[in-house]
Amino acid sequence: MSDVGPPRELDAPMAKAVRLEYWNIFWTLTIILVMGLVLGQSETMKTAWVEDTLGLVPPIMFLIAARAERRGHPSRRYPFGFDRVNGLGFFVAAVALAAVGALLLYNAVTALIAAEHATVGSVRLLDRDIWLGWLMLAAQLYSLVPPLIIGRKELPLAEALNDKLLHTDALMNKANWLTGAAGLAGVAGLGLGWWWADSVAAAVISLDVLNDGIKALRSSTAELIDGAPRALSSTDLSEDAQAVCTRLMEAFPGATVRLRETGRLIRAEVHGARPPAQCRHPRHYWPGDKDRAWRLAQVSFIPPIEDQPPA
Amino acid sequence: MGAGRFCFAMKVAFLFPALLLLGGCHALPRDPDGTSTQIMRSGILRVGLIDDPHPFDRGQTAALIARLAQETGAKPQTARGAAEPLLADLDAGRLDLVIGPFAADSPWKTMVALAPPLAASGTDDAPLQWQAAARNGENRWIMTVEQASRAIAPEGDAP
Repeated sequence: MSDVGPPRELDAPMAKAVRLEYWNIFWTLTIILVMGLVLGQSETMKTAWVEDTLGLVPPIMFLIAARAERRGHPSRRYPFGFDRVNGLGFFVAAVALAAVGALLLYNAVTALIAAEHATVGSVRLLDRDIWLGWLMLAAQLYSLVPPLIIGRKELPLAEALNDKLLHTDALMNKANWLTGAAGLAGVAGLGLGWWWADSVAAAVISLDVLNDGIKALRSSTAELIDGAPRALSSTDLSEDAQAVCTRLMEAFPGATVRLRETGRLIRAEVHGARPPAQCRHPRHYWPGDKDRAWRLAQVSFIPPIEDQPPA
Repeated sequence: MGAGRFCFAMKVAFLFPALLLLGGCHALPRDPDGTSTQIMRSGILRVGLIDDPHPFDRGQTAALIARLAQETGAKPQTARGAAEPLLADLDAGRLDLVIGPFAADSPWKTMVALAPPLAASGTDDAPLQWQAAARNGENRWIMTVEQASRAIAPEGDAP
């Protein structure tokens, strides 16, 4: 097996995820269009619209990363292939998620402090004067549905592929439909004459989005600076990786084991140990479920320093 | 995110529209500061007219005031003056309506709610549109004024 490119057993879930992300982009574009038509002067609606637009970042990054990972071949300029494009995409998506959270929070808090009374007027439609709020409610209700469904479909795929970028996208979808729900409450509250309703709802939701964004940012930074592998949905160390570490330490007592993550793959370095006489596949050292053994893509040995010839 | 907050969001998303339906949709929107109710209760419609040196047929202005008076059953009480003090009074809730010429990029555009234009004046270089302004956020009253403005100068007919 080559140690670059995604393992073969991921072909099917990968193809499924790529298809899902194309659909995700399509539905997000329809939401951006529908929401854009009824924006009016409402700050809530504008913020929700910006969030929906930023929601395009993770799926686009995923598609770019998947393409690079599947089609890209190691070259003289990129001798290690493109496994880590996924990690870079994860970082970009995490920045987008954190930025959306911060933006939402800022807008909600400033609107509250300024005691802004949002104006939502009427439009002439089919010879009737209709309050724009009704159209906003309809648009928000529509914007709830696709992210709710797509986000739920993404989670199991993200786990199967151990794809943090896809997982972040699922979080982004959750953030989107939660904002839709807050927007519904906000516009409805506005209609009832509670000018503060939408800002309060938006502030509560934005805190949650910001929290998810910061968590993703911490994990993605850890990956980019060769930190130990992190769990898919939190900043804790990955249990699978810890089990690999224990297994290698048992096999090579006295050696130092260092693990890092390149995209979805784990790479191990065993320092201060000679490789075993018999050549072994890295998967040999995977302790748990054999179906997940593809995650361990490399086990390298660095012999003890005294073995090396003097400079 | 915790399951608790998920449940909260679900409740907000689905209970709110349900409550609105039960409460009667035709009642929306309402005014946060009760402008519409206050006009009907006091029987007085406080209108500010912005002085403008350019000649302009005020037929539309008079028609709009008459129509709003008829709809609310209130007697119009007009005051004339410069734009700034009148709009400041509108923003503070001391006036219900201000009618006058506004530039397309007027800074007041976001600070008050401007209804569809009644007429145009000014020069080609600096066109002005005569519009009625209501206090920001008073959405029921804004809708009433918008409807009346459209009835007097239907969109498309307006210059």
